[in-house]
Amino acid sequence: MTAPLLKLDRIAKRYPPTVQSGERLRAFWQLLWRGRSSGGTPVLEDISLEVLPGESLAIIGANGAGKSTLLKIITGVLAPSSGEMTQRGNIAALLELGAGFDPEYTGLDNLRFNAAFLGLSPEQVEERQDDILAFADIGDSIHEPVKHYSSGMVVRLGFAVVASVRPDLLITDEVLAVGDESFQKKCIRWIEGYLADGGTMLMVSHNMYQVQKLCRHALWLDGGRVALYGDVFEVTQSYLAWHERKDARETHTPRNSQAPYRMLSLGLDGVSGGQHAVPLGGPLEVNLSLGAPDGRPPVALVGIVRADGTPVYGVATDHDDFEAEPDGAGEYRVSLRFPALPLLPGAYAIRAHAMDPEGLRIHDTLESEFTVTGQARELGLIRIEHEWHRR
Amino acid sequence: MNRANRALLLRLIGREVRSRFIGSATGWVWLILNPLLLLGVYGFVFGVIFQARVPPGLDMPFVAWLAVALWPWLMFSEGVLRGAQAIREHAALISKVALKRELLVIASVSAVFLLHLFGYVTVLTLIGFLADLTWLGMFRLSLALVGLYALALGLGLGLSAVQVFVRDLEQAMPTLFMFWFFLTPILYAPSLVPESLVDWLYWNPLTWVMGEIRAGILHGEPVPGVAAGLLLLGGLLTLWLGWRLFARLNPYFEDFL
Repeated sequence: MTAPLLKLDRIAKRYPPTVQSGERLRAFWQLLWRGRSSGGTPVLEDISLEVLPGESLAIIGANGAGKSTLLKIITGVLAPSSGEMTQRGNIAALLELGAGFDPEYTGLDNLRFNAAFLGLSPEQVEERQDDILAFADIGDSIHEPVKHYSSGMVVRLGFAVVASVRPDLLITDEVLAVGDESFQKKCIRWIEGYLADGGTMLMVSHNMYQVQKLCRHALWLDGGRVALYGDVFEVTQSYLAWHERKDARETHTPRNSQAPYRMLSLGLDGVSGGQHAVPLGGPLEVNLSLGAPDGRPPVALVGIVRADGTPVYGVATDHDDFEAEPDGAGEYRVSLRFPALPLLPGAYAIRAHAMDPEGLRIHDTLESEFTVTGQARELGLIRIEHEWHRR
Repeated sequence: MNRANRALLLRLIGREVRSRFIGSATGWVWLILNPLLLLGVYGFVFGVIFQARVPPGLDMPFVAWLAVALWPWLMFSEGVLRGAQAIREHAALISKVALKRELLVIASVSAVFLLHLFGYVTVLTLIGFLADLTWLGMFRLSLALVGLYALALGLGLGLSAVQVFVRDLEQAMPTLFMFWFFLTPILYAPSLVPESLVDWLYWNPLTWVMGEIRAGILHGEPVPGVAAGLLLLGGLLTLWLGWRLFARLNPYFEDFL
């Protein structure tokens, strides 16, 4: 087995209280005598991960989950409060490109400086300088002070220097959203070439499509802890599902308990409640029981919505001239079966509505969430039968 | 220190030196002119107004006698002050780029020493025309400067680390260094100090440094003695202690900057 390029073992980070000068002094004495300080705000807890050569890792999570802090620890800018980190090979980061530049100096001076920060010897810098200049493509401006540069030029120069290092592990933070269209393409081409040559990347991104395309594993950070760590598809799907549920929760409508026609229970594949998972293209059965006060069978309407509430499909018993089976005592049972569910992986919900027997008004609603699992890079909600042909 | 870090250190020193000149057409002139003006002020106040004289047995102007010790003091005080600020000054860099942070302090202190060394050599050459210097004493002088450099580096490292946590230091240091200047026999010879106080003077390591330097090239005693060895040892000990302190606090800089 190959040794990991990077291994984090139960990394934790606390930011000490630094606002009041008294706190600073106390922390100072504690650090001096005991080598650690107490108190503070925890930002990361118990993070363990491994990056193997050629197996890129994505770190995803909502804003404030601790992604940037984790990257800072990995790049060595920040020391963890506890835990072990081991690394092998050289690591270069595309974080805040051009951050180490001194605006008073020319682009060329800064290029040499940045390369030295990244551990290149003067001879190596000399050797690669032409490549770097060609990649950055900022022409004669290289002899101007960096303070005269546009932000795009700074970023281009910064990227070109990192690109020249060809690190064993490349760390990026939403870096592909910099520069103009053509430079972005150049960067993406470079990164694809780098990955194809066996490079490894550790990236933070909010673009799940990019994550799935470029990475093999993913780590989902939530509130400074690992929410899920594993295969990229599994993690990104759960992450997106969590997001959609969160959005949906904010726009939820309360249930009407006084309704004459009521939904008594909703089950998926015979189970009600809990997390139900259906494989892509697999079968799904929706089991309903409804209540009616007047001995007439109510109409059941079943809808599939994405977790954020976007409707996908809806069908009612009266569309197909079907009637729920009476079960005595005013209860009616009915099942709806989808033999091969064409939904693409993600989080969805079944919404079952009880309508009056005429099918005119919705009286009551029950909702049950489920996820569709599987590996698919197709876009959208459903898989549509398709064929490719050469022409 | 590996090759890459050594190259980086050289670049950092080069940048420190150049940052004194960049943007100002005559930066290098000020480099010499400032200490010369300072020398002029002290020479006038102490030599002309207070009628200070060189210690008996020496035949040279007071200003020249003063200059021999003034430049090493400037190296030391400015070196420590700049080194102590190196971490705070480069806070932006430190929070974004992973680098050996001690290099920033070493570069600051070294750049100051290099710049003033240049001025010192110029001034010593000039004095050579005015008075009899024991050129053989240059070795003893250099040895004392090495000790002084180690002392400045150690203090710079330690203070730069402490300054991240205790910002008040920044305010207090210039005043403390002014005290230190007047408590060091630079403007006066130890022989002028009252008998009852003279022992206290030797608790100050800078007294020894100035003694070594003046004895070497002014008093014709070119062979370094035990004092020179002790001075070097003390400098290295300070350097080690400063280094330890720096290493201990280094991981937490980013949290407090």
